[in-house]
Amino acid sequence: MSTSDDIGGEFEGRNALVAEYVLGLLSSSEHARVGSLIDNDQGLRAERDFWLSRFSSLNDEFVETPVPGHIYSAIAKRVFGEQRTSFWENLMVWRGIAAGALAVAVAAVGFNLAQPAPDSGALATQLVAALEGEGSNVKFVALYDGTGNVRLTALSGDDLPGQDYELWAIQGDNAPVSMGVIPVSERSAITLSPEVMQGWGEGSVLAISIEPDGGSPTGAPTGPVVATGVATPI
Amino acid sequence: MATTTTPAQEVADLIARCALRDRAAFKSLYERTSAKLFGVTLRILKDRSEAEEAVQEVYVKIWQRADRYVAGNTSPISWLVAVARNHSLDILRARRPASDDIDVALEIPDAGPSPERAAQNNEEKGQIEKCLGTLEPDRADAVRGAYLDGYSYEELASRYAVPLNTMRTWLRRSLIKLKECLTA
Repeated sequence: MSTSDDIGGEFEGRNALVAEYVLGLLSSSEHARVGSLIDNDQGLRAERDFWLSRFSSLNDEFVETPVPGHIYSAIAKRVFGEQRTSFWENLMVWRGIAAGALAVAVAAVGFNLAQPAPDSGALATQLVAALEGEGSNVKFVALYDGTGNVRLTALSGDDLPGQDYELWAIQGDNAPVSMGVIPVSERSAITLSPEVMQGWGEGSVLAISIEPDGGSPTGAPTGPVVATGVATPI
Repeated sequence: MATTTTPAQEVADLIARCALRDRAAFKSLYERTSAKLFGVTLRILKDRSEAEEAVQEVYVKIWQRADRYVAGNTSPISWLVAVARNHSLDILRARRPASDDIDVALEIPDAGPSPERAAQNNEEKGQIEKCLGTLEPDRADAVRGAYLDGYSYEELASRYAVPLNTMRTWLRRSLIKLKECLTA
């Protein structure tokens, strides 16, 4: 701090920095430094979002101005030069999308599945479930392929040191049946056991609980259930 | 899908479909929003051909980053405007001399009053105007100039004919005052 007239007391040091960042008042190097600080700190991210949302009230003052017609074709050329993405890449883009978008994600997954249709005869029995829970950031999408396999991808959720997420099938009034420990950092596929398969279908509930490393020692959920979802036909 | 959707939901849906590489959705999104985003790049860059080039890059970014839009945190239009605004500011910033480093208190103190409550999707028009109204008119204009025109501290200092450090102090104090008002 070399200048005496700024960031004087504690009061002055508070908070202005994130607002300056949002306004774009910092130099390139500071902007980059502060940006990475914000990315790594939840409180600062909230602060940034606060300013962004407040200042966005001024957006009405940006006057709509039609873009010359040739611009779109230039954009389309740049944008659509990409390769087709695979099913899983499409699914993976939903990682990080918050709860509000989960239903959209599920709809999109359904829409997407309908395209390649690996086995169109099985289409009628394909199921999808969005797994989430109140007060939890653990969110998964599960897809049942109609032939005994469930594929899973995490939309969000933190790796828990020394603990695992375990997937359960709950059918009717029966006790939850373990479907095994699932990774949060990569997609996975699970073949349904005969026990799960027996009652499996529309309305089956999938649940994820937090368990000790390696999964529940008792065969029943022992930790908190952090996400649930109902299997729905697509 | 719901039978009645608001324009904002429709735009959010288009962004979601872009994340799935839906080209038709991208075109619709462009048709619906490009005039607004061009308005942003034009106002900040103040040069038509630069603004046209920028708006192209903005839509390339939107296509690439559509999966990062988090519904519920910000309105979809605000998110798009932020992409356009940030891109334009990046262009301006890259042009400014590197010697411009302000000394920044990188050890950021506590965030003060928690913004979480206030950070909820709250974009009421009246509030920021009301709070800007509590600042001296010059300072409120400087804040608006920074947001809407992308003015740097140097540009603001020369516009208001005050020394650079004075402008920084003004603006930082104004921002702190603004936050107090916005979170009150």
